[in-house]
Amino acid sequence: MSNVLRRREIILFITGIVGGLNLFEYFFAVKEVAAVASTIRTWVVVISAFALGLGIITAFRVHISHVKRRTKGQWPFSIWLMGFFVLLTLIGLWNPKFIVYDWTFKNVYVALSTTLYAITGFYIFSAAYRAFRARNIEAAILIISGVLILLRNAPIGEAIWTGFPILGEWVLMKGQVGGMRTLTFVAAVGLVAFGIRTLLGMERGYYGGE
Amino acid sequence: MSKNIWSKMAEVDRRVLYWVMFIALAIPFISPIGLPVPVTETTKAVYDKVETLGPKNIALFSIAGGVSAWPEIAPSMVAVMRHLVKREVKIVVWGFFVDQDITLDMILTNVPELKTKYKYGEDWVYMGYIAGAETAVAQLASDVHAVFKADKYGTTIDKLPLMQRVKTAKDIDLVLTVDTGSYILYYIRHWNVGKGVPVAEIGIAMQADMIVYYPVNLVGVMIGVRGGAEYEKLIGRLADGTVRMDAINVSHILFIIAIVLANIGFIMVRRMKK
Repeated sequence: MSNVLRRREIILFITGIVGGLNLFEYFFAVKEVAAVASTIRTWVVVISAFALGLGIITAFRVHISHVKRRTKGQWPFSIWLMGFFVLLTLIGLWNPKFIVYDWTFKNVYVALSTTLYAITGFYIFSAAYRAFRARNIEAAILIISGVLILLRNAPIGEAIWTGFPILGEWVLMKGQVGGMRTLTFVAAVGLVAFGIRTLLGMERGYYGGE
Repeated sequence: MSKNIWSKMAEVDRRVLYWVMFIALAIPFISPIGLPVPVTETTKAVYDKVETLGPKNIALFSIAGGVSAWPEIAPSMVAVMRHLVKREVKIVVWGFFVDQDITLDMILTNVPELKTKYKYGEDWVYMGYIAGAETAVAQLASDVHAVFKADKYGTTIDKLPLMQRVKTAKDIDLVLTVDTGSYILYYIRHWNVGKGVPVAEIGIAMQADMIVYYPVNLVGVMIGVRGGAEYEKLIGRLADGTVRMDAINVSHILFIIAIVLANIGFIMVRRMKK
């Protein structure tokens, strides 16, 4: 039975029906098709929720493996992760308003999350210092554009010279638009081609094929 | 000797850079600079759109950003929510990030009127988390009730008077998507292009160019901390966004100084090698 369910034709058939119906519904207003497409999309929402559970199982498999193998520099953290996960899940199921549960999220999770995000600023600072070198004309143009955008985004740019925001605005709204729009269109065309290939069964990566 | 100076200038240790950044960012918190923040057109456009709404209108507040992005987007979220409440607009909240409950808690703390002035179920509702990314956004556009059977607190959707008015995207007058990723594109594709619903974004600074690529589809974009500071100015209630702009000013200037110094060092070293 499992071999039948794994057959390539069944996967391609489901992909074709689901993709085709939703594409048709997007471009043509046919009530009957819309109803079926709507039901399929609701299923996707439900299946995606199950994916969260699958993620938990996968995470546990990875971390149990680290603990078993005593992976250097990792396994103690794996124990912490799994321990906290189980503890917070149990407390959350018992009483989400419990003070420890609430406190942990508001004072540990939030603080750590925002700190990690803020730390990227330091990395970007260091990276900009090292990478933004005027090795040639193109790199110099990139640096000047970047500096103008920085001076546009921060009010101090305008405080230094009122022309900076105007120049920065030009770079943002005009200078880079042509190139980026081209890239966006190219990516969109590529995505359409990829979609067609998937619907026709020519792309196999998404179901583990080669 | 001089060669040493130039090469040192071009290769400052990253730990030194981190300390310089840390100290520079600390200064404005001790002694605020308080430079004026001119309002950009993209933020003004969001404000103007909200100004056109009233008690008969419904706004969707979609949370598609995690708590990690609070340093950038929390001021905008709070300012916009304050404006919506001030205009007495009905508000539907849902989201796509597992930690969004904490974000909503933060908003409720900063906008207590949602608890005091607004009546839950009639004036605002919180529908909770939805999995499914773009497919979920598409499905919500065509049938909200197919996705949600109850709100976050377990009240069935038929017992929420506000949700009786919200069946599809067409029942929403403005989408405000709090976004750190691609959800703005999903809303543009399925709510704006598909159903004609006005969409505005509360985004991180990286998404500043969204309005350039989608000028027809987006009402406006509030860009990072600055967007929040500008909105605070527009609603006449200065708060966190305005305070944080000092840090933005200092960090941006520091970036420029570092880039200039690095390039002077780099060019001088290269000349000397020749």
